Amino acid sequence: MSNEGRKRGGALSYIIALLAIFALNFILPRMMPGNPLQAIYGDEALVAMTPQMEAHLTELFALDKSWSEQMVAYVLALLQGNLGFSYYYKDEVSSVIMGALPWTLLLVGLSLLIATVVGVMLGIESGYRRGERIDRGLLAGLMLLGGLPDFFLGIVLLLIFGVSLNLFPLSGALTPYSGLEGFPLVADIARHLALPLAALVLVDLGGIYLLTRNTVVTILKEGFMLTARAKGCSEFCLRYSHAGRNALLPVTTATGLRIPQLITGALFIEIIFSYPGLGLMLRTALDARDYPLIQGILLLVTVTVLFANLFVDQIYKRLDPRTRYAH
Amino acid sequence: MHIDLGHEIRHDRMALLGILVLAAILLMAIFAPLLSPYSPTEYTGRIFSSPSNDHLLGTDSMGQDIWTRLLFGARTSLLVAASVALLASSLSVLIGASSALVGGLYERFWMRIVDVMISLPTIIVMILIAAYFRPNLPLLILLISAFSWPGGARIVRSQVLTLKERMHIYAARTFGADQRHILKNHIVPDISPIIASMMIQDARRAVFMEAGLAFLGVSDPLIISWGKMMHQALAFTYLDVWKWWLLPTGILLSLTLVSLSFLGVSLEAAMDPRLCRHEHEHGHEHVHENWNDDVNEREYGNEREENENGEVGSLEAGGC
Repeated sequence: MSNEGRKRGGALSYIIALLAIFALNFILPRMMPGNPLQAIYGDEALVAMTPQMEAHLTELFALDKSWSEQMVAYVLALLQGNLGFSYYYKDEVSSVIMGALPWTLLLVGLSLLIATVVGVMLGIESGYRRGERIDRGLLAGLMLLGGLPDFFLGIVLLLIFGVSLNLFPLSGALTPYSGLEGFPLVADIARHLALPLAALVLVDLGGIYLLTRNTVVTILKEGFMLTARAKGCSEFCLRYSHAGRNALLPVTTATGLRIPQLITGALFIEIIFSYPGLGLMLRTALDARDYPLIQGILLLVTVTVLFANLFVDQIYKRLDPRTRYAH
Repeated sequence: MHIDLGHEIRHDRMALLGILVLAAILLMAIFAPLLSPYSPTEYTGRIFSSPSNDHLLGTDSMGQDIWTRLLFGARTSLLVAASVALLASSLSVLIGASSALVGGLYERFWMRIVDVMISLPTIIVMILIAAYFRPNLPLLILLISAFSWPGGARIVRSQVLTLKERMHIYAARTFGADQRHILKNHIVPDISPIIASMMIQDARRAVFMEAGLAFLGVSDPLIISWGKMMHQALAFTYLDVWKWWLLPTGILLSLTLVSLSFLGVSLEAAMDPRLCRHEHEHGHEHVHENWNDDVNEREYGNEREENENGEVGSLEAGGC
């Protein structure tokens, strides 16, 4: 099979996956017993709803029509970016989500960056010193950390640094009504971010470290490493330009696969630290059974993950010249 | 692939440690009613009591004995782990092996489904489904299994593809063996170490998912679960109660997960000829196998196959 064919095959899977999620979002509430409006919006929502609003929503989603007409209405609404109405926040789901999204992006983006850089560097250094004490210590420690469930690691950090030592704030993303501006505001945000970020990075670090380390260990045996040493490369150049460059490929692929883990990890961590991102919002929505909001958040996360995977596929092709020139 | 897994595990300290911890938790689960005089759902008369002779770990906000709930929570976790491991790995073997043996449209159909399911963020989809159904235990097991088989099916398929070209399978075929006989008597025994490591991974994921869903509060509220205990305890971090409520639960859950990972990594290492034990190169191949990238599977897949052939030779020659 040619490269082209493989690329198309990959994209097709993503398209099917996306359609499957849309279908799931459409079918799940309609499979529930009872009035469809009640199933889509939940019992609690109906109590708060005015008859006009009920009529409007019924019309919007064609709930009194056949399934096929409902489907058309659903797709049309999605195409217009209309994810429905959150009764709990009394606002459009899309704008409610937009309010929480920046905090999650900040958390996930920063931990992706930090964990990748630190993980790769530790992996290279550790692999290069294979079998020495520092290597064995790092290996055991990080494997143990990686084995812990992310929400428990978050809880431990919260209990130690937040509750017992009282070093960091217990919840939130910034001090409310503080009126801070400029640098103090940034410092305040950083102080609130520190613990959730540390938890997420620590959980994520193990995988990327282990992968880099093991790749470096196999690369050390390669002939080109001997050549590089023979031609007088410095230690730094050996480690980073030769071993590190070759470890980049598996690390890139793994990064794509870490994104879903990071996002789901962030959902849990946000709940623990009451960090006002999508995770905390999801928890609120789950507790309140605010189904349109649950669907909206999960849809957004799924689409992000699918695009991240697709993006990594493309990057991979650029990084590995072999997949560009072959066939 | 002929590996004596029992021998490998007995000689690996990490695996032994994992098995010991798991065995202890299993005993806790089995003898739960003997280890505690209370029922896990019973109101004992006092809420938030500190650890005492009556209540080993005190009582929670509902006045239930925490130690008892821990014991019964172990039952839930292990039951989910074992059921999912059996169900998901059976699906993986059935679908993976039949795809490789039948081929054609059938194979393409299943592999497409595997590709699609692997590209989805599983936990997210499960949260969505659980939010609607609030699944009870059997439904939860089915739900987790339904999302756990695709990765294993892909591994089994690639293994069977190389296996079915081996001489002894050809020989069996010339004797008139049909596909089912070959699958049952030749292929499954040959890939049994892979199945074992797959089951451990499925079990680990199942424990995590059950706890995770309960932690989010989307599984059946009647299930006694470590995840749910943490969910409840997290609301009371301002009291001292977290020391004997939140912490022991989290530690027990972590111990279970870490033991399963240790066992899994050890099995992986036992199967990988490139990772000689004393070099501590655990987990390399494990990561590759889990990568869901077509390009990757292609490149490393070939490498694996060569290595496996080489390995049989080297083991017979007493290598490694």
